[in-house]
This record gives sequence, structure tokens and C-alpha cells, in this order.
Amino acid sequence: MSKIKHFYKNLYRRLFQLDDRLLLIIAGSIAGICSGLAAVALRLSLESVLEILHPFRHYGWAFILPAVGALLSSFYLEKIAREGAGHGVPEVIYSVSRYGGILRFRSSYSRLISSFLTIGSGGSAGPEAPVVMSGSAIGSNIAKFLGLNDRQRITLVGCGTAGAIASIFNAPIAGMVFAIEVILGEWKFVNIIPIAIAAVAGAQVSHAIIPDQVIFNHLPFQVGGADILPSLGLAVVAAMVSVLFTKVLRQTGKIAKKSSLPFWARAIIGGSTVGIIGMFMPVVLAEGYHSIQSMISGTFSMGMFFVFLAVFAKIFATAMTLGWGGSGGIFAPCLVIGSLTGVLFHKMLIILVPSFGCASEGAYALLGMTGLVSGVMQAPLTGIFLIVEITGGYETILPLIVVSSISSTMSHYIEPASFYFKELIERGQFLRPGTDARILSDLNIRELIETGFVKVSENMVFRKFIELLKTSDQNFFPVIEDGTQEYKGVIQISTIRKFALDPGMYDMVFLNQIMDTNVLTASLENDLQEVLDMMDINHMDSMPVVENNRFVGMISKTRILDLYRRELIMQTSDH
Amino acid sequence: MNYKLLHIFRNTPFGRETFLQSLYFCKIINAFPVAYIPKNDKFLMYFSNDAVQVDLDHSYLTSPDTAKGHAEDLFKEMQIKPMFYEPKNYTASTLPDISTNFDYLCCPRSVSDLSSKIGLGHIGPKVRRMIKHSPFPILITSPVFKPWKSISVFFGGSKNALNALKLGLKIAISSGFGLKIYTLLEKQDKAYYKDLIQKEGLAEPVKQLSGHWHFYEKKDFNTMLYDVPHDSLIVLGAYGHGIIKDILLGSKMEQIQSTVTNNLLITGPYCSVKL
Repeated sequence: MSKIKHFYKNLYRRLFQLDDRLLLIIAGSIAGICSGLAAVALRLSLESVLEILHPFRHYGWAFILPAVGALLSSFYLEKIAREGAGHGVPEVIYSVSRYGGILRFRSSYSRLISSFLTIGSGGSAGPEAPVVMSGSAIGSNIAKFLGLNDRQRITLVGCGTAGAIASIFNAPIAGMVFAIEVILGEWKFVNIIPIAIAAVAGAQVSHAIIPDQVIFNHLPFQVGGADILPSLGLAVVAAMVSVLFTKVLRQTGKIAKKSSLPFWARAIIGGSTVGIIGMFMPVVLAEGYHSIQSMISGTFSMGMFFVFLAVFAKIFATAMTLGWGGSGGIFAPCLVIGSLTGVLFHKMLIILVPSFGCASEGAYALLGMTGLVSGVMQAPLTGIFLIVEITGGYETILPLIVVSSISSTMSHYIEPASFYFKELIERGQFLRPGTDARILSDLNIRELIETGFVKVSENMVFRKFIELLKTSDQNFFPVIEDGTQEYKGVIQISTIRKFALDPGMYDMVFLNQIMDTNVLTASLENDLQEVLDMMDINHMDSMPVVENNRFVGMISKTRILDLYRRELIMQTSDH
Repeated sequence: MNYKLLHIFRNTPFGRETFLQSLYFCKIINAFPVAYIPKNDKFLMYFSNDAVQVDLDHSYLTSPDTAKGHAEDLFKEMQIKPMFYEPKNYTASTLPDISTNFDYLCCPRSVSDLSSKIGLGHIGPKVRRMIKHSPFPILITSPVFKPWKSISVFFGGSKNALNALKLGLKIAISSGFGLKIYTLLEKQDKAYYKDLIQKEGLAEPVKQLSGHWHFYEKKDFNTMLYDVPHDSLIVLGAYGHGIIKDILLGSKMEQIQSTVTNNLLITGPYCSVKL
């Protein structure tokens, strides 16, 4: 028995403890499979409910369907799951950058249910962000179950994300790129392999359950060199629409938050608005994959003016859905708005230059989608790979790259933060690995404090202090009150020179007469950034740390620099 | 030392009792109480390997206009400087992150039930998870304010129980109150337990600070609980096993807390106590 135990321990140590790559690959593939299953479950259930509700859509009362869905969704999130509405991607990024990817178990299913209710009833949102949230939480909880450390947990969060995106779009490369580009924000060798394997696992799960799936079928596009110039124009338009979409989404959400209406009233108003718009323009309803399919295959029958209206209607409907209590993501709405923008641009091009031999409307819908995804998420690689994979349209790769690069660059120029990051940046919590803000936030003020300082009484006579000084190498002496032990001030060697050079003063002066009581102090509650700012403004190299009127220790720039370097090396090394 | 206790303030008569208990605890052990007045009905605590979302019932949000004033009055009543905690970080706009950089946390037996259900009921699942993951001891107060005058440590020989013993000794030192140790002889004899504390270097402080070490046979569990003075702070270690083992084997902590009305101080598996 002991031999078996010894063999098992030895094997475990060799396989996992000496090098955790194998462990991460195995755990990552489990995360990829589980998140893939979650994504497929959501996709199939959405397809079913949309099909069931489809015959009722042309009744006059059908506008209440999205309202009922949003109401149920917000009730579920508020009262049962007790989570906030929204798409959840910033929550995942926040957790990765601040808490080593720790996510609640309930997040692995709550957004799936709420987004099923929202989108299934016709709300304008996508299922991708909820599956990202779900996949990330699955990865995080697998890491928790295995007792992994922060770095390993973050990798598994990426694996869950990659598996979910790969599964829902049947696009493993896009899943991998999205996880690394948007969620983790760092291309590390140690992350890439488990995430790639998780993405493939997720896609394979999806493929096994729904065989022969290509989300958007189309005939091959004839894209030539002549399309490069119009692509530039489309990229600019897509960037403008991206910025508009981001701003409308945020503003609508802010208005809803400011309103004093209860959550259920907000959900009803948002859902009904979407329902009413959908009565006249069904393209705005649900995730919109059918509309995208018809645009790509060139069978979209709307006229130019209505396409123009549809772009704004979809933007507004998505904002009303997500801002007013519904649940879901912006990925699918981006694809719909992008393809509408592409179609609109193509129609205008044909009117303005009738003899221009450009590619088909479907190809421009594709380019528009890339432009919107890259512009809104400011994630150009995700935009390119996603569109190429979900459409199989490799012949459009060159204009795709052009549109994606220009759209993301222009959007970044006008609106420096992407939709996913904006909220975190405003809260000062967008902390990518290896950045100054992240390193400072990862350093705990408690580990920076230097302790062991000799404290002196405020009633100590100066001669006694001089005697103490002879045997000490301290430059700062905290002064405390005798009875209460409360901090009163500090004696700095540099400021008592005049007393030290005049022996006549030795028996005439007490420390409470010469101590410096105006020295700024830090507390254990301060962030390191706040402490450094205080030091910089007041030209200080060291600062006393005082908590509850008790001296705790000193914090110095030298010590901060030492630990800063250590943390920087740790965060930027490849392992 | 600058020990700090976090108390989630509830602006109700029941909340007043638990807060007074926290203030008393801090006063006795020279710690600083920090009150958090919730503005949302939930908050999140990130521990080293788990995030615990605590969903508060509506009584925690009662009369928000008077909450701070009431808390300040109670601080003054106990002659303690008022300190309040304001969350700095938010996971979502309505979900604040509460720091885990405290030395103690005060909880009622359940943070999610209505106060009418509290009394001596079960320990709520959130409190269990906090005990399981927190690096600090959790103070579970008696239903009404009840000053304690002695310390009773339940010592069963486990790692958590050793932590509980250290914590009991620490509190005995800072409070000056007497310490009693209670041991149920489940699998081992007296010599085993005495040996154990000898190995851990606790024999000397136990000898100095503890007047009595009571041993009971396994069947005398209820007698042991009855022998604990009603005005004693009970310090015990939580085993920290999962719900399945709890159902199969039962939980000592659950049995103790549902039988005695004393204040409980519980150390979980991640709690580290230094003398």
C-alpha cells in the first residue's frame, strides 16, 4: 500500500509540481469542455425558444414579449442570483487584474439563465458575453477545486473564456485570441498552450453536439485590389458607428441608473421599447444571426434608407435592452450593426460610383462586422480572426486587416477606452500585468513597512536622546506619549542639528519641544499610489505609518523600489 | 498592537445588541472596532482562494439616515473612538468589495436570515464559508449583549483547536480574564493532549494562564457544555469540512452553537494565530 502511495506521490510531483504546464493543459481542457458545453446549451436553448416564439411575433401584443423577458431576467438577477445586470466581461477583467481571477461559482450559470430570458424573448443582445462570464467562472472554480495559485487560476480563467467563445462561434482561434487580447491582456508562453487547447476542446464539444455547423454560409467572395480603397472608407464609417454605439450604450445605462424607478419598471420600459421597435423593424430583435446570414449571402431586401434607420434602431434597441435591466453581450449586436453598416456603405458606393467594380454586398457586410467588433472592443486581432472563422471567408483577409486596423485605431483615437475597459478605467481599476498601476496595486502596504524602530518618549530630555543617538543608526525617531503610547510626532536627525551642536541646550530641551508634528503620515488603509503621491508632493523619502494613533513603522521609497522591481520581474517573466 | 475588528452594522435593536457585543470585545482585548454600514444589500469578500458574496437581508438597510448616528452613539456609550469602513473597490456598481485586512470579523449566526429567525438557529452558509476561508477569527455574538468575564477554550487536539488555544491564551493575556480548557476524550487519553501542547510549546503559557483543564468522556458532551460558565467567551476551532461530511458525521461547531448562548470566537482552517 505504501509503495502505491509513494509511486502516486512521485508521479504527481514529477508531472505537476516540477512543471505545472501539464497540469494546466489538463485542467484547461476540462475548463474548455465545460465552458463549451455551457455555450452549446445556451445556443441550443436560444434557438429553440426563438423558434417557438417566432409564430407569435406578428401579433400586435408581441411587443410585450421582450418586456416580459427583461422583467424575468432582471428579477432573476436581482432576487435569485443576486447579481447586477449587464454583460459581465468587465467583472471578469477586474477579477483577473485585482484578485487573481477569483470568480463566484454562481457566475458560471447565472448569466446564462438571465441572457436566455432576455435574448429568447427578443431582447437585443448577444449570448457571447454571458458565455464568457460563465466559462471564466468555470475555469476559476476548477482552479479553486484544485487549489491552484493566482497565476494558474488566471490561465484557467482564460481557458474557460477561450472554450466558451470557441464553442459558441465554432471558432477556436478567435476564442484563443479573445481570451488573451481582451481578458488576460498578456501574451505569455505559459498561457498560450493551455488556452489554445481549451479553445480547441470547446470547439470540438460544439462540433460534436452540433455537427457540420458554419454559423454564416456564403458563396466565395470576389474581392480584388479595387476594394482596398473603399475598405478605407468603410473603416472610417465603422469607427464612427463604433464610437456612437459605445457612447449610446453608456449614456443609456447611466440614465437608467439615475432614474428612481424600481428594477422591474426599468426592465419593462426597456423591453417594451425594444418590442415596439421590433414590430416595425424585426432586424433589431434577439441576437440577429438570421439577418446577418441574409446580408452575407446577399439576400437582404431592405432599401438603403431603411438600412440606415436599422443601424440606429439596433444601436438604440441594444442600449435599451442592456442599459435598462436586460442581460446579454454586445458581440452579436456588433456583428448586426457592422453588417448593416457594411451593406449601407456598399449601397451608397453603388449609387455614387455605379461603374465601380467592387465586391458583393455580402463581402462588405463582412468587412463592416470586422470594423464594428474591432472598433467597439478595440481588439483588432479578435475582429479579424472571428470574422474569418465564422464565415470561412479567407479571401477577404487583406481588406479585413485594413478595416480592422483602421477602425480600432480611429476608435481608440476618439474614445481611448474600449467598451469593456471604459468602466474599469473610470474606476481606476484597469490594471494590466506589468503596468505601473498593477504593480503598485499588487504591493501590499503591510509588506513594505519597516518596523523595529526605537520609539522615544515625548518627555525625554534631549541629553538622553543624544546618548541614544550614539548607539543608533536610525534617521527617524517616532515620539510617543508615555501613558497612552499614542504617536505624537517624529524627530528627524536633519532637523535637530542646531540643538545637537549646542551642548548648552542638552538639559534644557525636551523632545516634545523639538519634535516635528507636521510630518504627513500614512495609514494601513492607504493605497500605495496614494502614499507615493503624498511623498512626491511633499518631497519626502520616508513616511511614518500611523494607525489608530499608534506608530506602526516607516515606509520608504528605497523599500518600495526594491519590492517594485521584484514584482515587476515576477509579472513580466515568462513563467 | 493595532488589532482591528470589522463589524457589519445593522440599524435595528438586534443589530444594536451585536454591535455592543463587538464593542465590548474590542474594549476588553484592546482592539479597534470598525463599523461598516452597508449601502447595498450585498457585498463581496475576496479571500485567498475564494470569493464569498454575502447577501444581506433588508434589515441591514433599515433607516440609512439614522444608521451612522446610532452607531456613533454606541461607540460613545462604550467610550471608543468611532471608526467607519468605506469600501474602495467595487466588483460591480452595486457590489462593493470588503477588505479582508482585518484581525477579527463579527457576524451574527446568519447574515442572510431575518433577525427573527436568528437566535440559536443554524450557522448560515455564508458565515460557514467565511469561517472556512478567512485568515482571521470570526466572532459570533450572543443574541443579546452579554459581557463575558472568562474565556473557555474547546480543545480537541486538531490543528484548528491548537489555533483556538493560542487565541484563547492571547485573549486571556490582553483581557486579564481567566482561561479554562475543555476537552472531550474522543479517541485519546489525557496524556495525549498534554503531550500535544507540550510539543507545541504551549504547556508553559497554559500553566500560567489557565487555572483549569477539564476532561470529559465522549458521552458527556452535553455535561461539558452545561459546565461552561454562561458568561464566558467560548473559543473553538472549526474543522472546516464540507457539507457532505457535516451531514454524515455532524458538526461539533453546529452542536455547540445551537446549544449555548455564549459568544463564540471561531478559528477556521486558514486562520493563523501567533502568541
